[in-house]
Amino acid sequence: MQVSFILLSLAAIGALAFVTARHRAIASVGGDARRLHSLPIYYGLNGSIMALVPALALLVAWMLVQPLFLDGAIRSDLSDSVLPEGSAMGLVVSDVRRVAEGLESGPLAQSFIAGDFADATPEEVGRMLVRGGTALGAPLTRPVLDAAMEYRTTSRTLRWIMGIAVLAVAVIGAAVAIHRSEGSYRARNVVETGMLGLLMVSASIAILTTLGIVMSMLFETANFFSQYPFTRFFFNTTWQPSFSGRGGASELGILPLLWGTLYISLIALIVAVPIGLFSAIYLSEYAGRAFRSVAKPTIEILAGIPTIVYGLFALITVGPLLRDAIASPLGLGNSASSVMTAGLVMGIMLIPFVSSLSDDIINAVPQAMRDGSLGLGATKSETIRMVIVPAALPGIVGAVLLAASRAIGETMIVVLGAGAAARLDLNPFEAMTTVTVKIVSQLTGDTDFNSPETLVAFALGLTLFVITLGLNVLALFIVRKYREQYE
Amino acid sequence: MNDMRHVERTVRVDTTKITARDVQVFYGDTHAIRNVSVDIPDKTVTAFIGPSGCGKSTFLRCLNRMNDTISVARVEGRIEIDGEDIYDRRVDPVQLRAKVGMVFQKPNPFPKSIYDNVAYGPRIHGLARDRADLDGIVEKALRRAALWAEVKDRLSAAGTGLSGGQQQRLCIARAVATSPEVLLMDEPCSALDPIATDQVENLIHELRENYSVVIVTHSMSQASRVSQKTAYFHLGELVEYGETGQIFTNPQDERTENYITGRIG
Ligand SMILES: Nc1ncnc2c1ncn2[C@@H]1O[C@H](COP(=O)(O)OP(=O)(O)OP(=O)(O)O)[C@@H](O)[C@H]1O
Ligand SMILES: [Mg+2]
Repeated sequence: MQVSFILLSLAAIGALAFVTARHRAIASVGGDARRLHSLPIYYGLNGSIMALVPALALLVAWMLVQPLFLDGAIRSDLSDSVLPEGSAMGLVVSDVRRVAEGLESGPLAQSFIAGDFADATPEEVGRMLVRGGTALGAPLTRPVLDAAMEYRTTSRTLRWIMGIAVLAVAVIGAAVAIHRSEGSYRARNVVETGMLGLLMVSASIAILTTLGIVMSMLFETANFFSQYPFTRFFFNTTWQPSFSGRGGASELGILPLLWGTLYISLIALIVAVPIGLFSAIYLSEYAGRAFRSVAKPTIEILAGIPTIVYGLFALITVGPLLRDAIASPLGLGNSASSVMTAGLVMGIMLIPFVSSLSDDIINAVPQAMRDGSLGLGATKSETIRMVIVPAALPGIVGAVLLAASRAIGETMIVVLGAGAAARLDLNPFEAMTTVTVKIVSQLTGDTDFNSPETLVAFALGLTLFVITLGLNVLALFIVRKYREQYE
Repeated sequence: MNDMRHVERTVRVDTTKITARDVQVFYGDTHAIRNVSVDIPDKTVTAFIGPSGCGKSTFLRCLNRMNDTISVARVEGRIEIDGEDIYDRRVDPVQLRAKVGMVFQKPNPFPKSIYDNVAYGPRIHGLARDRADLDGIVEKALRRAALWAEVKDRLSAAGTGLSGGQQQRLCIARAVATSPEVLLMDEPCSALDPIATDQVENLIHELRENYSVVIVTHSMSQASRVSQKTAYFHLGELVEYGETGQIFTNPQDERTENYITGRIG
């Protein structure tokens, strides 16, 4: 039974349950809807919910469990002896699955069902499957083909059972709901609980996804640390990966990358925070309506420019300018790519974040605060400095941290503006690079997903994640402390 | 309450503090104040009474140019304080507001500590020589606003964490701490219990020794208790203005009489 067919049937059952439950509820009070406990629509919704929710839950659970179950079945079917020399069980299992899918739904499916290939050799079937678009890890052998046929029949049967079970649950749910739909039944409260459940499920999906991402990162990172010592990753001051082809051991110290990230982000924030904040203050407190209506969208356009364009700007304009105007004359280096270039351009990119968020926050400070201060004979700037900015501070801190996370995660501007050379240096006119850039470069090109040179990307990613998490926690802490003091 | 104060009402009209002539206020197209002319004497308490929405707050805000902060508001006419036109180009509204303090209709403490709220004005105007001096100013202001006893142990707690009535008194303390020459109070007792109201009224009496006080109130008894002069506003017009005793006992205008006797609210 196709899943799409099951879903369509469920929709029909749900609609039917809605209409019937509503109708029955109204009929139970002799057509006088005022005597119902809840509005008629709640009885209908209750019908649909009871019909659909358990059935859908079963469907989802089944679809999650079935592959696991089938994999287990294949594994026990295939004894170790049939494994081709040197190939892993996992690869064979996935071959079985792919062959089964190719037979089920590939271009071959029709003729296969008709029995055309009953006496073809496995190799022939394999070639036909490959032509039909199925990718195979190894040439098809008899045990694998047999296992695939077995897999296919079992999964078909299971699908049927699933379809019947799901539809049965839906019908039972609908029947129960319809049966209950009488005047005194509190359908409204049930629907309310249903809404709560929906919201909770949405919230947990967001949380679970985060958890999933963290878990996969953790897993790969653990893998990395089993191949590369922990201390060398965190305390080694050189970054010199050598891809296995070239031989030699790699130096995978995170410190130069972390330094580059923090240095560039710091410069970016030094540019973005004052300019962004001051422009927000100007726009919200001083600018006339006409100017504001032009300036605000103009600043926000900056936020819409793709970072690669900023990168080009850094590469072609800012980098050479800084080199020729400052770095060379002062003898600070001859590199067009530099921390300063990337930092400045990134700062420009961040201005609209800081300014438009702060602007909203400053506007949210009640006019009564301004009146109170002005009424005591304070000037406008005193009012801003002593009342408005402190009142808006939690939000402003939030805006700054958001900008900081963007700066830390930025890649394009760094590649084009600061280069890709990992270096620990104080000179802001030297080329340096960041964690994100190295994650990209370790994962692109000719990679072997089991070498420390590649896996280091996950360790880098996780470190970055922990740093941003730390920043957010810090922000929360600051905001809390501030709130305790003042509200 | 102590209505005996009616008797001791002495009107010492020596000098005029505030003179308003043909004042008009518009909020966009709404004509909120029409042709108001009034002379507010020095060292007296003047009460503004009138039904809700008649323009009492609006007129009060003209007296320290707080209407400047409302972009749609437009003030016409002439208002003088000590003979100086406050809407003149050369007058700095910031300086003016330091001289003419205001307690707003809605309490608006800053999201700062109680101490910092009261110390705000003295700090920006440099009124205190040192920390001890500032402590003294803060304490005195809080005492005058009848709030000291309640907050003396938690001066560093947030001003916004006080109850509505406490916040109202905090705002009074804040205004008093700056020692203004004129104090505009917009319904300063609207959220206060009788005891606190009595204390604030005592404060008003005390302030009258040195300052002019203009108070907006919806309580007839309060107006008659604290003020020497009363102005009755109706739909943006100043209907009647005179000695409080005369307004309450012998109003000239029918609208005033109806309002005072409670026939319109
Ligand atoms: N900021 C504003 N923008 C537009 N109109 C306003 C504004 N403030 C007041 N008004 C209008 O001006 C008129 C007078 O308002 P005002 O606040 O002075 O009344 P009030 O006498 O103080 O009333 P209450 O006793 O209720 O405080 C009202 O009609 C009001 O709608
Ligand atoms: Mg008012």
